[in-house]
Amino acid sequence: MLTNIVRGGQKVILRLEDILNKIFSSEQNILYYHGAMPNFFMWMLFLSGLLLFAYYTPTLEAAYQSVEYITKKLPYGDVIRGIHRYAADAMYLTVILHAIRVYFTDRYREYRIIAWYSGIALSIFMLVIGISGYILVWDQRSLTIVNKFAEFLAALPFIGETLSHGFINGDVISNYTMSMSFFLHTGTSFALLILLWVHYMRISRPVVNVTWAIGSLLAGMVLVVAGALPALSGEEANFNAMLPSIPLEQVDWFYLWLFPLIDTVGNYGAWAALILGLVVVTLLPNFVKSEDSEPASVNKDSCVGCRLCSIDCPYEAIYMAPRNDGSKYKELAVVINDRCAECGLCVGACNFDAIELPTYRSTEVMDDIRIALLQD
Amino acid sequence: MAEDVINAEETEDKKPKSKDEVRVAVIACERSVNLEGELNQTKLNGVDNCDVIQVPCSGMIQPRMIESAFKAGADGVIAMGCQIGDCHFREGNKFCRERLLGLRPPMIKKTVPKNRLQGYWMSEVQVEEFKARIEEFKIHVADELLNEAAEG
Ligand code: HEM
Ligand code: SF4
Ligand code: SF4
Repeated sequence: MLTNIVRGGQKVILRLEDILNKIFSSEQNILYYHGAMPNFFMWMLFLSGLLLFAYYTPTLEAAYQSVEYITKKLPYGDVIRGIHRYAADAMYLTVILHAIRVYFTDRYREYRIIAWYSGIALSIFMLVIGISGYILVWDQRSLTIVNKFAEFLAALPFIGETLSHGFINGDVISNYTMSMSFFLHTGTSFALLILLWVHYMRISRPVVNVTWAIGSLLAGMVLVVAGALPALSGEEANFNAMLPSIPLEQVDWFYLWLFPLIDTVGNYGAWAALILGLVVVTLLPNFVKSEDSEPASVNKDSCVGCRLCSIDCPYEAIYMAPRNDGSKYKELAVVINDRCAECGLCVGACNFDAIELPTYRSTEVMDDIRIALLQD
Repeated sequence: MAEDVINAEETEDKKPKSKDEVRVAVIACERSVNLEGELNQTKLNGVDNCDVIQVPCSGMIQPRMIESAFKAGADGVIAMGCQIGDCHFREGNKFCRERLLGLRPPMIKKTVPKNRLQGYWMSEVQVEEFKARIEEFKIHVADELLNEAAEG
């Protein structure tokens, strides 16, 4: 059942990509940059964020006004703010696309497990960045977010109070709360970079950059939206007229969906949903039965240490070890078994039949070719 | 399988053939065009004289596999992987394509007739397109054989 849905999804994706290939060529097919697109938006966010950072003041009194200053007085400040807002939405949207594609094309388990788990962590980090970002504006929505999020954290048994206290950064909302949100926003952004390094750890030559054409298109789209729907603040935060919930038209559905969820099912319900969701995505790789692994293996006597296999291996599963076993060659290819995808790229790269997939050796492939052709 | 089959004489000089006599060998990634139910052992249903040998990824196609297909009597050889940009193993089809173009080691031997060797990059869902292109390829190979014979 699950397998059929996944296979169906893969067919839809492949058909769509085929159409885009025919229109734009595979080089310029945006769907082939599903990992590079969030990366591109992330750099847009760092750049626009740097400019906002220069004029932003994280205090209760000044935060709102500093954002107003950026938006209304600073030349192009409104554009920069709009870019920051919509690049953030675009980043989440493309991350979702990316996650869907790796899931439906079955590229998320076994030797890719680090990328999957770190991807889950990345999406949680992005939520933290988004929620804290909406606090920094310090309008009525920000105040509601702080209150509701503090209550939400406090609802967790045992550690809830501590977390909530840490988030407010004291007993009541104060300048320290603003510092905390500012820290959560910028600190988590940098932590995202470290996590991305983990995300790419097992991937040789990850495709992290879009082409110029695609980059211009994506940046242009963000600019158009930023121009058409300027990112504006609401009323300044007012402790005497606190909103019980975020009005639905003010919800950013990529980053703030947690708040309508809390309004609907309560704090405990939202925690339950969140934890359940997390458990399901974490266990997704375990729902599929893995086949027995039969990693590539190297024949010591034939390997001349030319390195071609270790260069071509797409999952960094081969390293070159110095050899001192009396061979006239200096290095030997060594396969790290649990990183091996059993793809055979190393076999295609080796001119000495020195590295082989035990399930289908290159000599067997050649025999099969001859047999097929010489049979009749 | 009998030894004499494996070590059979290499066919050297090619004689012109009609399109229907042309023999094609396809070394294909098992994840590209979905050939489930389309193969009778290695023979492709609905297309004459076409053998398909499937490997886990087109990136596994070693130049000598292509040579061996020509040596065993193929008039034309196709290396096939998924659409460029999409590879289950990220880079396999890209590397295979670079080898066909002579841009990536190990290099294909000069003696291999490059004009009768092609790379196809097709996805699981393109079965009919694949068959149609094989038919076109046979015409191309027949033409090439004729040219080669004319050139001596
Ligand atoms: C900040 C957000 C993210 C960025 C910038 C990002 C970027 C990338 C990039 C550039 C690659 C390499 C693609 C390639 O060259 O083949 C990749 C691979 C991968 N990503 Fe992400 N990713 C993000 C979030 C996620 C999320 C949320 C998930 C899923 C939970 C995920 C799952 C994966 C997996 C499984 C791979 C390995 C795919 C393969 O080996 O073919 N990523 N990511
Ligand atoms: S089969 Fe070879 S190239 Fe592929 S992952 Fe394993 S060691 Fe690397
Ligand atoms: S390509 Fe072959 S010979 Fe070269 S290092 Fe790898 S296993 Fe050894």
